[in-house]
Amino acid sequence: MTEATYRGTATVAREMELIRRVAAGDRRAFEELYHLYHRRMARFLTRLTHRYDVAEEVINDTFWVVWRKAGDFRGESAPSTWILGIAYRKARSAFRANARRPEENLEVLPDVLTHETPATGAELRDWLGQALDALPVEQRMAVQLCYELGHSCEEIAAIMNCPVNTVKTRLFHARAKLQRLLPQLAEPRTGTAP
Amino acid sequence: MRAPLGHEESWLQLPWLANGRLSGELRAEVEAHVHGCSDCALELEAQRTLCRTLQSPDTVTYAPAPSLRKLLQRLDAEPAPRRETLRRREVRRAWRPPGLAWAATFVLTVGLGLLVAGTYHWSQPLYVTATRPAAAPTVLHVAFERSLPVGEVGEVLQRAGARVVEGEGGSDVFGVVPADTGAAPAGRAQLRALAARLRRDPRVRWIEPLASDAQPEP
Ligand SMILES: [Zn+2]
Repeated sequence: MTEATYRGTATVAREMELIRRVAAGDRRAFEELYHLYHRRMARFLTRLTHRYDVAEEVINDTFWVVWRKAGDFRGESAPSTWILGIAYRKARSAFRANARRPEENLEVLPDVLTHETPATGAELRDWLGQALDALPVEQRMAVQLCYELGHSCEEIAAIMNCPVNTVKTRLFHARAKLQRLLPQLAEPRTGTAP
Repeated sequence: MRAPLGHEESWLQLPWLANGRLSGELRAEVEAHVHGCSDCALELEAQRTLCRTLQSPDTVTYAPAPSLRKLLQRLDAEPAPRRETLRRREVRRAWRPPGLAWAATFVLTVGLGLLVAGTYHWSQPLYVTATRPAAAPTVLHVAFERSLPVGEVGEVLQRAGARVVEGEGGSDVFGVVPADTGAAPAGRAQLRALAARLRRDPRVRWIEPLASDAQPEP
């Protein structure tokens, strides 16, 4: 698994400690936490909005809240769940204000994006990016939180502030649509190196 | 014994079997179902492809430094957030460091020595600090009994009308101001009154004397 996916207990403990120090006004800890999250959030949000400037704005709005509210973090969830929950709310507003509407994409997308077998992982990633654009934003975020960032169903529910059954339903519909747009997803493959 | 997991529930759980986030019993149940269900087995493959594709290394490098710089400028331009809640929580873990505790003990000893020598006025605190800030103090530094539970620290501060404004992680010395001063810096008289209120509580272990308290008032 890549660094983007679920991280172990030691990482969680380290981030807890960083948040505790941020709560005490420690700028170094804040910068360290920012660096830990910037890359995966930048990728997640750029994929979502197609705009790095919007991604950057969401990241900074999120960490502005982290700086101010670290003292309220009770450790009842993992730090990543807390931080991404803030990012989710910021991203949703930013997405609505800035991004293309999925409905617009639906009109231009064919039933099946391509029947070709992607030659490389990069090609498949491009196709998948287009297919993701066809999904309503809540489904897209659930997809990215699950497959890209590797969160559990319960964590996604906490991040998106919804019941676990809603997460399952969102993914169920997203999967059906992705499968229809990209039938190649179900074809057994040996690797998707870029 | 529970009934085996049905196709529908297994299907719903496949994303987390693919991303490695199903644990224990549920994972075993889904795996057992997938083993005997070709539809789920095929879908699991698709789910794994999704994971691999969305997690594959980026072709873009995101540089955090310029973004962080913007954010820090923004934080600098705004008033500091209230750090009250966390300070109290921090107390729980803050009773260990020997450095400042040792210093406080040393300072107390010096203070007692002075008292015995009769050079110290009775109403003055039983300690002095070796280094004293030149500027007028705006914050009062205090330490509590080490065994004091966090709830009681909060209670002591509340009863004395104090609000915590400083306290680095790892230290057991807190910077407090009168709770009713708001954003304005506390005056010397207010700090002195607060120190007197805190001193009445036996759970307060140490209070840094105000610069002006070391000498008689003019
Ligand atoms: Zn099945």
